[in-house]
Amino acid sequence: MVKLSQNDLVILLVAISIMLIFSRIASELGKRVGMPMVMGELIVGVALGPTIFGTITPHAYTTLFPFTENAHFSLALDAILSLSVILLLFITGLELRFSLFLRHGKTALSTGLGSMALPFGSAFILAWFFPHWFFEVKDGPTHLLFSLFLGTAMSISALPVIARILLDMKLLKTEIGAVIIASAVFNDVVGWISFSFILSLVNKNTGGGSVLQNLVFIAVFAIFMLVVGRFVLNRSLPWIQTKLSWPGGVLAFSLSLCLLCAAFTEFIHIHAILGAFIAGLAIGDSVYFREEAREIMHQFVTNFFAPLFFVSIGLKVNFIEHFDPLVVMIVLLLAFGGKVIGAGIGARLGGMSSRRSLAVGFGLNARGAMEMILGSLAYDAGLINQAVFVALIIMALVTSITSAPLMRFFLDEKN
Amino acid sequence: MDHCQLKGRPPFPFETIALVVTFSVSLSPLLSEAKHLADAFKAQLILISIDEQTPDRQTRLHQTCQKTGIGKEVRVIWPGGDPIVSLLGICKENMIDLLVLGALRRETALRYYLGSVARGLSRRAKCSLLLMTEPKIGGSTFGRIVTDCVDHRKTIPTLNTSFYFARLTGCHEMHIVKQVDQTGLAMAMSGDSTTGEQSAVKTQLFNDAEDAIREAIGHCQAGDIEVVKTVLLGRPGFMIRKYAEDCRANLLVINSPDSRYGLIDRIFPHDMEYILKQLPCNVLIVHSRFTNDT
Repeated sequence: MVKLSQNDLVILLVAISIMLIFSRIASELGKRVGMPMVMGELIVGVALGPTIFGTITPHAYTTLFPFTENAHFSLALDAILSLSVILLLFITGLELRFSLFLRHGKTALSTGLGSMALPFGSAFILAWFFPHWFFEVKDGPTHLLFSLFLGTAMSISALPVIARILLDMKLLKTEIGAVIIASAVFNDVVGWISFSFILSLVNKNTGGGSVLQNLVFIAVFAIFMLVVGRFVLNRSLPWIQTKLSWPGGVLAFSLSLCLLCAAFTEFIHIHAILGAFIAGLAIGDSVYFREEAREIMHQFVTNFFAPLFFVSIGLKVNFIEHFDPLVVMIVLLLAFGGKVIGAGIGARLGGMSSRRSLAVGFGLNARGAMEMILGSLAYDAGLINQAVFVALIIMALVTSITSAPLMRFFLDEKN
Repeated sequence: MDHCQLKGRPPFPFETIALVVTFSVSLSPLLSEAKHLADAFKAQLILISIDEQTPDRQTRLHQTCQKTGIGKEVRVIWPGGDPIVSLLGICKENMIDLLVLGALRRETALRYYLGSVARGLSRRAKCSLLLMTEPKIGGSTFGRIVTDCVDHRKTIPTLNTSFYFARLTGCHEMHIVKQVDQTGLAMAMSGDSTTGEQSAVKTQLFNDAEDAIREAIGHCQAGDIEVVKTVLLGRPGFMIRKYAEDCRANLLVINSPDSRYGLIDRIFPHDMEYILKQLPCNVLIVHSRFTNDT
């Protein structure tokens, strides 16, 4: 078995500690000015990465993060980051309940559809007809996949950020909050499944199946887990939570199931995130999964794995060098226009007033952590270039920061 | 029949009660329950048989009615055809205020997904429904009633119907339950919240729910009935079902659904579906008929 040398291990542990310490400091400071936690983590990544630290002291940077010089370090950190993204998708799935979407009927349906269809359609059309704006080659090998990806990237929402915004605005338990959450559930479930499908098509060149085969695999796996899997979970979770030690038993069981599902989807050449996401959906939907277990799982992932992943985004590229104002502008316009108008029209058709519909649109516009994960995975898969990656990260930040004030503006009767 | 009269008609008093008759072992107890309820509410009673009309069945029904004290003046309808469609039509035609049905506490998985008459009607009925899980000869007692106090415009009429039912059936304890769904809370607070903030948010949710119950009760005529206010944190529908089981309620009162529930709602259950999946006790589904002006 190949092992990390003592020196490699020391560097790896120091790098992880620094990422965790600085991201915690940034999050705590950011919290005082109302900044989302993920933004603090990203800023730390940019500061520690090639953009600032790597430019000012290149030697110190390559010593702390020897990605190119030390293959062992790179591999070990990559494994940790892969685990991080798998667990992030798992806890996202834990919180999404499709029944929430069903519960809110017509308004949630029209808002959910509107907030997906318009962003997806507008981004797809733009990427398809003007690929050169994103440095893509028309009719090139990734032209269609890139167009599909951009559409998906624009249609996804970030439930963690949205939930936090609604909680801070005391809207989480209101009708408008419920519609936003229900629509975000729809966006995320459809968005992540679509994204997994796109990634599986990227993998086609490395042994993946045909388009139809991948679609069938995804559908069969999702239906199996959400019907049979849930049935088994509803019978096994009460036993696990009462007969095995608490919370060790349920944590070990849930995480094992998550990793098994992730391994399975990776094995069939669909990305591991789909398995983790669907496992989260199946476990989180069970009424027998205790709220305390859910909280522990969230704390565990959000405070250890999430900072590592979001800091690593800043380590990937030089944000100043690859900042392209035109691409950023297009991505921002697409994101705001598609989501706000699409969700707004949907909510209006669902019976909401114009102002409340716009508030719903801006609420769903927050992309936050989910967009960053999506962008990062697409970048790693070679689906997007550095300029688009930077633009997506900036879009995720801008939409998250502007969501709350714009919602407040449209909900304030005085305006 | 002028169907417009149905629009805006309040869910109580129960002027016309109908019993769905099936020729099973529960025929006699159900007839007894219906008689008991009709007497308590001073309502007209109608019997609707969804089984095929045969001379044997007619005789059996006649004899059982006699035994349970139901007179000949009670109308018996044998509609035939699809039971749910026929029952919906009869309820509308006869302006039924309360339809009483016998229902199993739990059905087999196949029957649950395909849908039984009782469950099917619960998802579609345009009048209030009383599902009786254990009908008794001599009539059930409704000493402890649990009523769902969800944020919905139907809730105040439902609460008032529940108190009306309680007053006329000798209930002594009414539990008004507010369910608080915690979806998104763990996710929203996992990153940058202190323990103090977390407990403050939960306390606030709890207090808001208690205030909502108090406000709702303020709109009702509780009378002498002892009211217990309860806030449950968890999955709506499932939590109140557990609560009704745990406190050994005799009746659970809920709002009728806004839209017709389908197979997808059974696969991804929510709200009333958790209750229909396993009835904790007798269940009263109150249907409030709103007009555009209400």
